[in-house]
Amino acid sequence: MSNLKFFLHLVMLLLLQLTILDNIQLHSYVYINIYILAIYILPYRLRNATILFFGFFLGFFLDLANHTMGIHAAATTLIAYIRPRLLMLTSNREQIDDIQGKQRISDFGWFFKYILISTFIFNVVLMLGEVFTFHDFFITLLRIVCSTLASTFIILLYYFIALKKKQN
Amino acid sequence: MKEIIKLILKYHFTIIFILLEALSFSLIVLHNNYQRTVFSGYTTSFFSTISAVVTEIDDYLYLKVANEKLVAENTNLRNQIEKLKVICELAQADTLWKKIDSTDAAYVFKTADIVNAGFNKTKNYITIDKGSDDGIQPEMAVCSSEGVIGVVERVSKHYAKVLPLINTNLRVSAKIQKNGYYGSLQWDGNDYRYSYLNDIPFHVNAMVGDTIVTSGFSTIFPEGRLIGFVESVNKETANFLSIKVKLATDFKRILDVYVIAHTKRQEQRQLENESYE
Repeated sequence: MSNLKFFLHLVMLLLLQLTILDNIQLHSYVYINIYILAIYILPYRLRNATILFFGFFLGFFLDLANHTMGIHAAATTLIAYIRPRLLMLTSNREQIDDIQGKQRISDFGWFFKYILISTFIFNVVLMLGEVFTFHDFFITLLRIVCSTLASTFIILLYYFIALKKKQN
Repeated sequence: MKEIIKLILKYHFTIIFILLEALSFSLIVLHNNYQRTVFSGYTTSFFSTISAVVTEIDDYLYLKVANEKLVAENTNLRNQIEKLKVICELAQADTLWKKIDSTDAAYVFKTADIVNAGFNKTKNYITIDKGSDDGIQPEMAVCSSEGVIGVVERVSKHYAKVLPLINTNLRVSAKIQKNGYYGSLQWDGNDYRYSYLNDIPFHVNAMVGDTIVTSGFSTIFPEGRLIGFVESVNKETANFLSIKVKLATDFKRILDVYVIAHTKRQEQRQLENESYE
């Protein structure tokens, strides 16, 4: 994926997040965050530190917009940190090339696993950062699971509509 | 040094990650009211637990010193009992004294402990552990065994706030014991050991070492309570002497005090007020 294309997707994701998804109130159990897809689809050959800073400032930007100083930043920094490791763990060389958009994603199962784990970890930090206590942990866990499933669903939707089509 | 740089280079990814997470965390705690409250709650309970443990250990280590202090205090109290016994016997023998004593006492004494005191300002205050429940009222006198301490200013149920001699707001009517000339004693806000007796006419013969006592005119203090001793005499102003008084009470050492209630003060006040009408 070229830098320009990536930038367009980033703007698109942020617009979707800020104008539509942040205004959807699905009870307090479901928070949909699509913008983290921008971290998942970063070109693989970027330096790790760059990914970290990108993750941090992306989260920080969302924090500024949502008045949640630091919570999104903490979560996005964490998924930017685990991204290289997760890619190593869950994939082989060919699949990593896929994420750069050079080839079609051959194995949907791998991509789904990668996104699900990342989104889950993201939501763990996000929800714990928000409630800021381990009290009533099962309610927090329920919110994490619900938000993860909803976010993953929307992310996959965007992926199949916008990203995969262009790769074809 | 080389190794450290190597280490940093090797783990720079993780180090940057930790720094960014720390930054996020501090942002969360500093800029979100709810999270800040929760966080400060945690830290407060954490540090108070630590300080409680430290205090416990500290108490244990100082048991010996505390013990010695208690023994010393006990001996002191025993000595006082002996002295009081002698005084009681003398009093019983003296029938005239008994007669005087049989009328209602004009002053009632109540003991109290100092629970808080500060002596570094010009407006110093002392807090004692007796309040309105123990019959303490504003404008009662407070003394220690050494001498005058101050006047009760405000009372709550269990505590009273005392305006000590070393507060520039307090003026106490005092006199030179040997010739009875009286003036007002007021602190200048500097040295907690010295106060100043003003309004004594310049012709009065005041010598270094003369005793200064309460005059008893104010209906607060009984007459003749020790305040201090003349340290030096100045004749700076035209008509009045300024007498520097070394206070008998060492304010940095007092712990036990007693409050003096004037039982007939109400009566005296009433009479004085009537005369103005």
